Amino acid sequence: MFKKILFATSATGASDHAARVAFNIAKSYQSHLNIFHVLGVPSRGYSQVVVDVKTKERVDVDEDYTAWVTEDIRTYYEKYLDESLNYTIDVAVGVPAREILRQAKILKPDLILLGGSTGDEGESVYKKSSLGSTLQKVAKSANCPVLFVNRPAASFWGGLSNIVFGTDFSKISDKAFDFAMKVAKTLDCELSVFHALDISALHAGKMLNQDEIEQQIRESLRKIRSRYEPRLKELKGYSMDVWEGIPFIEIVKYARDKQADLLIMAHHSRKISSEDIRLGGNVEQVIVRAGCPVISINK
Amino acid sequence: MPEGKFCNKKPVDTAEGINELLSDTSGNDYYKEMKELEVDSDLLWKTIQNTVKSRMKTWLEICAHCGMCADSCFLYEVNGRDPKQVPAYKIQSTLGEIIRKKGKVDNEFMRHCMEVAWAQCTCCNRCGMYCPHGIDTGIMFGYLRGLLYQQGFVPWELKIGAGMHRVYRAQMDVTDADFVDTFEWMVEEYEDDYPGLTVPVDVEGADIMYTVNAREVKHYPEDLAEAAILFHIAGENWTVPSKGWEETSLAMFAGDWAACKMQVESVYAAMERLKPKRMIGTECGHAHRATVVEGPYWAGRKNGQPPVESIHYVEWLAEALNTGKLKIDPSKRIKEPVTLQDSCNYIRNQGLKKATRDIMKHIVEPGFFIEMSPNKEHNYCCGGGGGFNGIGLFRKQRNIALIKKRDQILETGAKLVLAPCHNCWDAIRDLEEVYEIGIRWSFLKPVVVKMLEIPEHLRPEE
Repeated sequence: MFKKILFATSATGASDHAARVAFNIAKSYQSHLNIFHVLGVPSRGYSQVVVDVKTKERVDVDEDYTAWVTEDIRTYYEKYLDESLNYTIDVAVGVPAREILRQAKILKPDLILLGGSTGDEGESVYKKSSLGSTLQKVAKSANCPVLFVNRPAASFWGGLSNIVFGTDFSKISDKAFDFAMKVAKTLDCELSVFHALDISALHAGKMLNQDEIEQQIRESLRKIRSRYEPRLKELKGYSMDVWEGIPFIEIVKYARDKQADLLIMAHHSRKISSEDIRLGGNVEQVIVRAGCPVISINK
Repeated sequence: MPEGKFCNKKPVDTAEGINELLSDTSGNDYYKEMKELEVDSDLLWKTIQNTVKSRMKTWLEICAHCGMCADSCFLYEVNGRDPKQVPAYKIQSTLGEIIRKKGKVDNEFMRHCMEVAWAQCTCCNRCGMYCPHGIDTGIMFGYLRGLLYQQGFVPWELKIGAGMHRVYRAQMDVTDADFVDTFEWMVEEYEDDYPGLTVPVDVEGADIMYTVNAREVKHYPEDLAEAAILFHIAGENWTVPSKGWEETSLAMFAGDWAACKMQVESVYAAMERLKPKRMIGTECGHAHRATVVEGPYWAGRKNGQPPVESIHYVEWLAEALNTGKLKIDPSKRIKEPVTLQDSCNYIRNQGLKKATRDIMKHIVEPGFFIEMSPNKEHNYCCGGGGGFNGIGLFRKQRNIALIKKRDQILETGAKLVLAPCHNCWDAIRDLEEVYEIGIRWSFLKPVVVKMLEIPEHLRPEE
């Protein structure tokens, strides 16, 4: 299932909760874990100078420096790095999203696990010239599922037993469903299929009455049944629900209600928003808010 | 006195040599060795006799010391109007002195010349416009750099940069295979959003052969995707060469004349092999100067032109917008105060100011484009041109040099700066980092891609 995991980390407190999940999964499923750190952005034109993302210092990156950073990461994760863990550490220079995608292209992992961003976004050396965040770019372009752990609450992970799959009935959602089924079957989990009826955007300016809302809920439930139920029967347990509201809020609430260990959703935003993440799409909003790890699938 | 292990008169022309130089962090030992480097005065004088032609001799002779060039030089202005920063003084006290002494100068003097040539002149050529005699100090400094390079007195980063061109025919260690792979990778990443998007490699007889800056391949490959998207939407018949794709020339900044020739000949060979109708280079100023303006002379081309008509990216973009090949969705135009950085290398030195203004008319809501003052051919250098950006030894001087551009931008009140030139883009990025004036900066491609009206048959299926 997860033979090869790429864990992209800032190796700072911001990635601690993601790290907890990364090491947990790697150990539980005997995965190979590649710990990958982009140490800084190239600076000063063609020069060798890089602004180190952790120290914020201007440094000349050479073999010694790379070795030092690698050692620093090893020390940072010392408590996780025992003999039972099969891991490698790689360090790169560049724009984080691009380098993570480049590493994924080389490694072809089954899963990318993305750590939190480095400290205060406003001060981040990456922030200003890059359009859209690392999270958005990686979620949009990765060729494999991407797992995000944003809140500390999402990282207290005791293994997988309940998975929530959020659908908007798109083609990519079907792909995400295939993946959710695969995980649920392999790991013997229950799967809850959920759709949120968007009553904010679809009918802006027009207040639906409750009869209309409930009519639409019934329709959506029928859709879920015909689309997913035949395959859901292969699992030991499943459920299907439709709630109305603001989609990302409803999904987060639903996952909490179900005590989900994992949320799976499709990411199919065509355009990367240059706006702040807080204004981003549904998946980004869910990632930021969820109380459990979120996997985003885009192809 | 000995030739150093790192600092010597021999150019670097192997990958191992580059790695060895790189292993000397910040060039610490390199600069220590430079203090011991012997000046080969005979070689220096012989080279001068062979290469100083009548134009340069006349310029050095006829300078009337009127001082008109002083106020034209931004480095004079931002350095407290120090008389030592007057262009005429700078060149007379360096190149002029070497010639007067028939090459009999010492190590200390050569190191002084190195500082003046790379930290007190960006070869922006602005002084040449204001000199009543038309004396262009920038050109003479370019020449002086060649003499210094030959003697081994060149900043560490530029010795490496020139070496990269010798080894990889690119300014960074990007191989031909890396280039093609990265371009294909980028197209793959965007083909869902732009059905039919491809990167045609080595197609003969295409309308356009596109060349890039290796930095795009190495660190900012989205730029390649954006170039592909814009050609695709415009319906262009274009190609990239798998060899000879690098348009830039750090060798030009370094004064490594032989490497300049090698580099530009690799691009010309691609033109001759693929026979495109036109060559278009990316949003880079010095690359255009190297490959289109000066390159033909380095390569000994009698007509002073590249093998096929070669234009700058802004010329193509202006043409595509003016002819309607690319259409802008008016609702997506820039609706905030925005200013434009004129790159010395193709605005002042090649007169492309109309192209960039045409582009601004298409992409900015009327009333929001604010010109810097002065602008167009009178605009100042970004502060990091001519190799200044990348030289660690002269970082302090470079940061002072950024003050002019900082103040020009502040005066416009714009928070967004469009900079269709890699060097300018870098300098503006750095000035925000150093002075924190709260601006954003961008090339044109990413801005234009976001506001295109995409013809129905090129849209993705929903």
